[in-house]
Amino acid sequence: MRALPATFREQARAVRAYAVESRAFALESWAGASPIDRLALVLVPLALFLFVGAVVSAVVMLGPTLDFLGANQPLVRFVVVVLGILLLTVPTAFLLIYMELKVIARMNLRVGPNRVGPWGAAMSVVHGLKVLAKEDFAPTGVDVPVFTLAPVVTFLASVMTLLVIPFAPGIFGQDFNIGLLFFFAMGGLSVLGLLMGGWASFNKYSLLGGLRSAAQIVSYEIPLTISVVGVILLAGTMSLNHIAQAQSGSALDWFVFKQPLAVLIFFIAATAEANRTPFDLTEADSEIVAGFSTEYSGMRFGFFYFAEYVNVFIISALITTLFFGGWTAPFNWPWPYNLNWLDASGIGAAWIVIVGFALLVAADVLGLAIWLFRGRQWSAPSAFGLGFVIAGAGVTILIILACIIALDWVQGIFWFMVKTYIFVFVFVWMRGTLPRVRVDQLMGFAWKWLLPASLLNLFVTAAAVIILNLPSAR
Amino acid sequence: MPTRPARTTSRPKQRPPEQHRSEDDPRIMLDRAVSADLYEPIPPYPTRTEREAEFYTIGDGEMFLNLGPQHPATHGVLRLVLKLSGEQIVDVDPVLGYLHRGVEKICENSDYYHVIDQVDPLEYASALFQEWAAVLAFEKLMDVEVPPRAEYIRVLSAELLRISSHTLFMGFLALDMGGLTPILYSFIERDEIVEMLAALTGARMLFNYFRIGGVNGDLNHEFMSRLGDWMSRAAKQTEANTGLLNENEIFVRRARGVGVMDREMALRFGVTGGNLRASGVPFDVRRAHPYSVYPQLDFNVPTRLEGDSLARYLIRMDEVRESIKIIDQCLNNMPDGPVMAKLPRLLRPHPGRAWGAVEGPRGMLGVYAISDGTDQPFRFRIHDPSFMNLEVVPHLLPGNLLADTMAIVSSLDPIMGGIDK
Repeated sequence: MRALPATFREQARAVRAYAVESRAFALESWAGASPIDRLALVLVPLALFLFVGAVVSAVVMLGPTLDFLGANQPLVRFVVVVLGILLLTVPTAFLLIYMELKVIARMNLRVGPNRVGPWGAAMSVVHGLKVLAKEDFAPTGVDVPVFTLAPVVTFLASVMTLLVIPFAPGIFGQDFNIGLLFFFAMGGLSVLGLLMGGWASFNKYSLLGGLRSAAQIVSYEIPLTISVVGVILLAGTMSLNHIAQAQSGSALDWFVFKQPLAVLIFFIAATAEANRTPFDLTEADSEIVAGFSTEYSGMRFGFFYFAEYVNVFIISALITTLFFGGWTAPFNWPWPYNLNWLDASGIGAAWIVIVGFALLVAADVLGLAIWLFRGRQWSAPSAFGLGFVIAGAGVTILIILACIIALDWVQGIFWFMVKTYIFVFVFVWMRGTLPRVRVDQLMGFAWKWLLPASLLNLFVTAAAVIILNLPSAR
Repeated sequence: MPTRPARTTSRPKQRPPEQHRSEDDPRIMLDRAVSADLYEPIPPYPTRTEREAEFYTIGDGEMFLNLGPQHPATHGVLRLVLKLSGEQIVDVDPVLGYLHRGVEKICENSDYYHVIDQVDPLEYASALFQEWAAVLAFEKLMDVEVPPRAEYIRVLSAELLRISSHTLFMGFLALDMGGLTPILYSFIERDEIVEMLAALTGARMLFNYFRIGGVNGDLNHEFMSRLGDWMSRAAKQTEANTGLLNENEIFVRRARGVGVMDREMALRFGVTGGNLRASGVPFDVRRAHPYSVYPQLDFNVPTRLEGDSLARYLIRMDEVRESIKIIDQCLNNMPDGPVMAKLPRLLRPHPGRAWGAVEGPRGMLGVYAISDGTDQPFRFRIHDPSFMNLEVVPHLLPGNLLADTMAIVSSLDPIMGGIDK
């Protein structure tokens, strides 16, 4: 019999030490269990229960649920679209923020974030948590309702523009026949949020930032919109889906080759519209501290921050859709093999073979190889673990490749994202390279160069459509 | 205090007694002003001069903007009260003194050796020049002969520091115009130079290296190897770094024709250094009033005629090239010998007065010292170029846009430690 120590903490430590010495005791008594044992005792039964429950309810409920969903397709579509778009914004913003941190760091000969997660990839998640944890502060003199609403307006305006963007054939929020008009209307609303934030903050830097954003966006909306009219004339529609379809074929069918001037104008004006360097006058940190968001903190600031990066993604997506073929592949896709057995509608042996059997076999083979030829640092479990990870990654890539080949919507999303992120990279690149222009240079450039150029582009395109008697003129 | 519903279940909290809020309480005054829509940043005292009264009278459609002392783009603790009409600057009231420590008085209460330590933090980006000015004045006061090797080491280390200072200037100028990248490239150069000087002097920024009659230590192996390493690519790297900005259309357009200081104005305000040479006056203390071994060295005094921010930037980049040339010559001509003159432990110069001036990265750094025969200077006056350069700011800014404030102030390259002394 041991003498029990005096304090409670020491008692607990002694009990735990005894539990470790005799493993059998650890599972006989809750008090003697180590934290990991306790966690396992809670989680394992819970997981078993949930799994069995899920299987049973799937068996029982699957048929009626499918019937119900089939009967209410518009409702289902609405809910899915809303959830999908709202859920899309957060990882997009996280990815863009991380990309900007890392890419600009490389351009600055720095390392960039490398502490949180692999290669610092969780940095923007930590940023998000930090912003959530901060105090939501409204200084003296602030017009509280307007001050509170401003980030919401900005964020919602950005999110709503996502509604009309076609990610792939069949993957879009809503196919308006005035899709482009809707896009510009909603995009123009975001300036309202900036103006509200600037005005309500009771701070002169904020006020200057808000007014700058209003002036800037009003000026750049005009060349932005007019430069797009050429595309509308060529495609004969304002629906973004149809514009993307009109460019299908190969890369030579993209509108960038028919509207080179419009691409240039649109890109410059869109940079100003998204408040990105070199047109980031609204938040010029060396002049007006942080512009409209000077007085914001916590999640209110977070909404502005998110909206900015979502805007970059949206603008890149729109450039891709209008001028670079949207979700269409840059070349014709001659695939000679029949991959119908991989089709998601015929879930069958092929999937089970790939996911289950092949994965296990590959993991074992790789693990064995690593274990046999291991260096000193690999024990048997970690060798097999590594083999499993490599095999899993390989199988995942194989599945994605198979999906790209077999399913046109996966293919569409793949090409769309590749093109969009190329433009996102260009925006980040510009931020690392260029200084900021001055207000008068900004305005002068919009009215003296961009507007005449976009009008010229519109005139030439319209004349060509009539003279060449293109299909959209008929 | 917002009222809360009374709690029924628990004991009400004991509140501290309500503090007396007088009418002079700034919080109450601010609240009243806000609610009455009367908020104006008038100075918190009756205006003292006519100029102040004129400045703080606001016209129609104008507003004040406090730029600093805490602002991401003002260098140090410079505060500029701007009177704006829209984005256009109507008038400027610079407010100085946030860093004032009374260094001159401290120096007058230190003995001659300690003065060098005290003047270091004034020009904190290039401390050796400030030391040099003090040491030069004292050497004149005491008729000390400095060994030639010490003079060469002085020139060598000071020119390295000039390059570091000018490179930093380039980075900050770009940063103030919104370019994020050049500052990082500048800091690479600056770090190498600073580490090099740390190997020589033992400190990274506040060196305390020059002594009356020489320098604290001879060149050592680490310094020489670092210097050789850096010199092998310094010229190429400088060209590459300046290419980041010189060939950038946005930067050039923002800097050209902004803050034009003509020759008469620069002379009238006592502007020196690169700012004066950018206005077309080829005045360089190293050539006009030669000191140390500069007469034996071959270098040019770059001059430009435009007098705008771009010219001030380009002048400094030219000076970096000249400094590399000077360092090369120093390394080639470095004589052997001692690095310190023989001096008594306690310095008591004869009564007299002396003026020592050197060409710092920002202009003429001068020290006027009067001795009364004791071991402490009777008067120790510091002429700081940043202060003279900053005097033109209120005359350059009006008529320009808010964004140009940064392009102009930054191109004058002020260091607040020297300005506030």
